Amino acid sequence: MTVAIATLVIGVILGYLGQRSRMCFVGGIRDFILVRDVYLLKGMVAFGLTACLAFSLAGLIGLAPPRLFGISDVLTISLTIVGGAGVGFFSTLANGCPLRQHVLAAQGVKSSIGFLAGFFAGAVIFHAWVAPLLFRLLP
Amino acid sequence: MATTTTQTRAGRAQRRAVPVTALQMGIVTGVLAVMAGAFFGVRPPEAYGVCMACHGRDLVNWTINLLAHTHLEVAQASLVYPVLTTVGVLLGAVLGASTSGEFRWQNPENPLKTFIYGVLVMNCALLAGGCSIRLLLRASSGEALGLIGFGGMAIGVAVGTSWLRWRASR
Repeated sequence: MTVAIATLVIGVILGYLGQRSRMCFVGGIRDFILVRDVYLLKGMVAFGLTACLAFSLAGLIGLAPPRLFGISDVLTISLTIVGGAGVGFFSTLANGCPLRQHVLAAQGVKSSIGFLAGFFAGAVIFHAWVAPLLFRLLP
Repeated sequence: MATTTTQTRAGRAQRRAVPVTALQMGIVTGVLAVMAGAFFGVRPPEAYGVCMACHGRDLVNWTINLLAHTHLEVAQASLVYPVLTTVGVLLGAVLGASTSGEFRWQNPENPLKTFIYGVLVMNCALLAGGCSIRLLLRASSGEALGLIGFGGMAIGVAVGTSWLRWRASR
């Protein structure tokens, strides 16, 4: 129950702030490449640094286990690179990262509502068909 | 008369609008994402505090499992009760848009096209193990795979931006 309430409250805070600040985790890199604008990039870098610091603090008081840079197998690494590149590429074409699409959908942008419909359908498609297919095809 | 009313309403909303910069939002998101895992039990998996793709997947699959008694995969953190980040973000954004007078129905692109983009983004995100936010969060928590995925995402954005620019210049 704690998990549901905590994530709901965190979601409301992030949704409000995201609407006010037009934050986008893909737009930072896109704007920097296109027009050398660093407004969104600053937010992304701040997120990474703050999370890094907070993880170290939580690790010091024993609330987050230390995670050393371990070595994975080649298949996992390739799938992660392909998946990450796909997230970046298609989010850029769709004009925003998933968080930005949620915010735009709540602002009344109908194409973002279409994006969200595909997003949630995609979850079922992945676990019902894509993942079993990958398990069968990949070694 | 009607225009005056609309203008005053928009003006009043403008005064109530709270300015937030992306920098402030980034700091708050970082703190909340770590706190969710450290204090509120949003784990395992580790570094699971904020993720639009995984949390959306958990909510959809949890609901379908409940209604249709299927066994679609959900993360361990949301086995009993689902994570509600998706619902929260939508509610918070509606709150932000309505208090600042920015809510407006519009349709800049073909919804069918963005539907397909949505399917593709979700599938790629689940393959990589996180949306753009969680890839960065995993990298911050010291996981090599998160950093690799984030690098892949940066390459994808660079390619996508070049593609958009090339298409616009033709």
